[in-house]
Amino acid sequence: MKYDVIIVGGGIIGCSVAYYLSKRNQKVLLLEKRDHAQGSAGATDGVVSYHTKKPGAQMDLAVQSLKLYETLEKELGESVEFVPDCGGMQLAENKDQWDMLSKIADKQRESGVDIRMISIDEAREIEPQLAPDLYGVLYAPCGGKVEPIKLTMAFLHAAKRQGVEVKNHLGVTEIKKDSAGKVIGVVTEDGSFYEAPKVVISSGSWSAEVGKMAGLDLPIKPRRGQLLVTEAVGPFMHCTAQCALYNVIKFMPETIKDPKILHIGASLSIHQTENGGLLIGGTREWAGFDRFNSLEAVEAIAHRALRFFPALKNVSVIRAFAGLRPYTPDSKALIGGTKKVPGLYLAAGHEGDGIALAPITGKLLSEEIVDGRSSYSLEPFSPDRFS
Amino acid sequence: MNDDVLICRCQEITRGEILEAIHDGATTVDGVKRRTRACMGLCQGKTCERLIQGIIAEETGKNRAEIQPQKTRMPVRPLKLSVLGGSRKDEV
Repeated sequence: MKYDVIIVGGGIIGCSVAYYLSKRNQKVLLLEKRDHAQGSAGATDGVVSYHTKKPGAQMDLAVQSLKLYETLEKELGESVEFVPDCGGMQLAENKDQWDMLSKIADKQRESGVDIRMISIDEAREIEPQLAPDLYGVLYAPCGGKVEPIKLTMAFLHAAKRQGVEVKNHLGVTEIKKDSAGKVIGVVTEDGSFYEAPKVVISSGSWSAEVGKMAGLDLPIKPRRGQLLVTEAVGPFMHCTAQCALYNVIKFMPETIKDPKILHIGASLSIHQTENGGLLIGGTREWAGFDRFNSLEAVEAIAHRALRFFPALKNVSVIRAFAGLRPYTPDSKALIGGTKKVPGLYLAAGHEGDGIALAPITGKLLSEEIVDGRSSYSLEPFSPDRFS
Repeated sequence: MNDDVLICRCQEITRGEILEAIHDGATTVDGVKRRTRACMGLCQGKTCERLIQGIIAEETGKNRAEIQPQKTRMPVRPLKLSVLGGSRKDEV
């Protein structure tokens, strides 16, 4: 069988790429080794914000992605539980954290976004459940939340309706090149050969393994995140919220000296889902491909949740869960073609930003694949930047 | 069995919705769970997990024992946040 593009990996990123390529009338084959949303998208929260994004190009992408989110549900034709403009907060416990957040916010504002520093009293008018002894809050009135599994499935269903062929439970074992080193297709674990002049690797935390099949050495590593989900409760909070450590661990890990924090990278990220349950994260840990929970992390997450939202003490946790996020050394995803292997494209390495950036990643990469260039330069995300 | 029968009572998921998920590519309990939210409620699938295994087996012509159950996660029974994270003296 011959296709225009073969996508290796049917998670939230691969399904988005498939959807946007199908909008451009490309003949696409999407291959998924296990099942859709079985990786990062099925093991995360649904924060879709820009105040958690690294200032610069990553932030620019988030702003464009949120714009796409506004019309996505209508476009895809099914609910993804998107709540626009629920607002986002980062909670500072002391003046040091406040100063650090203020500095990050100054840079983030260069992308033209509304991010303010407000007092804890002002913040408690918006979220009355916040602990009154906090120092202050970084507040972004815009930014929303979404259900990541539903979004993955919605991209998938829309892509299928537009003619994308999908095979799940079928892994790729080989990426074939011609004598000139150009991509010509893939071989799957059942021994079949599928032909295409273009191949996209969107295999999330497993992308380095797939990259090796094409002779690439990708610096993508699995980083574990653990979360808790609570029983459904009445309206508790509207915003998505993270503690100040969240951005510090994300952007300035070198400033953290406390070995306990460094060990599991515990910082709070919390929001309430449509059905009333609270999703509470999280950690950033090196645990290889282990996707189990640890008591240490579960306790740390519960402890931090109670620090910022004391009223949660009588709310029950019904499940802990964990998943892997694809880490890159500069916290930026790999999006675009690589000069090393003509015809090979990357859309991977989003770590904690994959849900927010899924729509824009699919859109821009489809432009690069079809038109040879994208409407926003993907240069800062080039897979070749590490060599 | 009627397609309107509730299989997951916590999340109010019907047999019809489970079948739809299987036709959408789900081959395991987790696959059905991701597509329907069955097993995601207060009881975490204590009743519906077996029923879902049965429906997948029936649809795919496999033995129920071959259908992969969901991943087991702590705390198994609802546990208050204050129990998990309340008594620590050291800051994390």
